Amino acid sequence: MGDMIKGNDAIAEAAVRAGVQLYAGYPITPSTEVMEYLSWRMPELGRTFIQAESELAGINMVLGFAFCGKRALTASSGPGISLKQEGISYISKYRLPCVVLNVVRYGNGLGSLRSGQSDYFRDTRGGGNGDYRCIVLAPSSVQESVDLMYLAFDLAERYRIVTEVMSESALGQMMEPCEFPPMQELTVQDWALDGKYTHERRVAFMENYVTTAHENNARYEEIKEKEQRYEAVGLEDAEYVFVSYGIPGRVTHGVVNELRARGEKVGLIRPITLWPFPEKAFEQVNPNVKGFITVELNDYGQMVDDVALSVKKKLRTDIPVYCLPYVFEMVKRKDVFRDFEKIRQGQWKEVY
Amino acid sequence: MSEVVVSESRCKSCGFCVKNCPKGAISLAHSFNSAGYKYAVVDSEKCIVCGICYTVCPDGVFEIRE
Repeated sequence: MGDMIKGNDAIAEAAVRAGVQLYAGYPITPSTEVMEYLSWRMPELGRTFIQAESELAGINMVLGFAFCGKRALTASSGPGISLKQEGISYISKYRLPCVVLNVVRYGNGLGSLRSGQSDYFRDTRGGGNGDYRCIVLAPSSVQESVDLMYLAFDLAERYRIVTEVMSESALGQMMEPCEFPPMQELTVQDWALDGKYTHERRVAFMENYVTTAHENNARYEEIKEKEQRYEAVGLEDAEYVFVSYGIPGRVTHGVVNELRARGEKVGLIRPITLWPFPEKAFEQVNPNVKGFITVELNDYGQMVDDVALSVKKKLRTDIPVYCLPYVFEMVKRKDVFRDFEKIRQGQWKEVY
Repeated sequence: MSEVVVSESRCKSCGFCVKNCPKGAISLAHSFNSAGYKYAVVDSEKCIVCGICYTVCPDGVFEIRE
C-alpha cells in the first residue's frame, strides 16, 4: 500500500512516470495543483514546463510538441477546456497524439469549483469543429487516476488520437494511498517532424479527404473494438442495472453492494472509457432486465443517451432507461436508495 | 506523553479541525506553507489529544504520537 497523496499531485507524477516531456498550460481551479507540481518536477528531470499565457496557447504548444513526436500534456477544467477545443481539432486533423487532462468542475460559463459530470457531452462528442473522436478515460479513485494517466499516453500514440483523462474536482483534491508505476524511458516517434523535411511535407488542403475519412473511420472502429474498459457487478441476474462513472460510480457501487447484500437483484456498469463507450458490458446483462438507471452529477443526464443507444444495440428497445441527475458536488447514497425506490414504484418517469 | 504533530505542508486551510476541536486549541497560522495555505497550528496547552482533528482532517495533516 503506497503513501497518501493528493489526486492532482498523483496524476501529475503519473504523467512524469509515463515519460511526458512537455507540460504547457494555464492554471484553473481545480486543476492548478497539477501545474504547480509539474512546475518543479519537470525542471528537476530536465524536461520542459511552460506556463502559457492562456489555455489556447497551451494546447497549441502541445500541438507543436506533438509534431516533434514527444509526449505532451495540458491540464485544465470547464471553461479552460472549452478554450482548447480548436487546438484539439487541429491535433486531431494531423492525427497527432497528446493527452489532455480535464479536472471537471460543474457548470456552464465560469461554473463552480465543485465536482460535476457536466462535460460528458462535450468531451465524448468533441467540442471542436469537424469529425474527430478522442479517447476519454474516467477514473474513480486516485490509484485509478494514476493507472489511466499512465495508459493515456500509450493509447494516444498507439492510435494517434487525442486522449482525455476526465478527473473531477473532488478526485483532484482528495488524498488516498497510491502506488506508482515505474519511470519510463523518454521516446521520440519515428514519424516526427525534425525541421529538415526528413518526412513528407504536410500542408492543409493537400490531402484526399475521402481517403482520410475512410482511414480515420477504420482507426476509430479498431479503437471501439479493442479499447472499451469498464467495471461490471452483478449483471447476470440483475433486474435493474445502474450505470455511473467517476466518483458517482464509486458511490453507486456502494449502493449496489448494499442492495445486493439485502438480496436485491441489482447490477452496475461503471464505464472506465467514456469513448469508446463500453457497449460490450451490455452484452453481459440479464436478458430479462427491467430497466437501466444512470446516476449522474449533472442537470438532466448526459450519459443516459449513450446508455439508451447501447441498450438498443445490444438488447431491446422496450427496456426503460432512467436517469437520476444529482446536479453537482456529490452523489449521496441515501438519495440513490430513495429515488431507486421511486423508480421501482413507478413514480419516476423514464428518459427513454 | 501523547502529542499531536502537524504536517504543515499537507494542510489546505479547510478549517474542519478548527471547527471541531472541543477545546478550541487549533487555529490557522498567520504565515503560509509552500502551497500558499495558512496551516493548522495546535496550542499544546489546550490540547487534550482526543484525536478529533486527526479524524476529521481530509488530508492526513495530523499525527498522534506517544
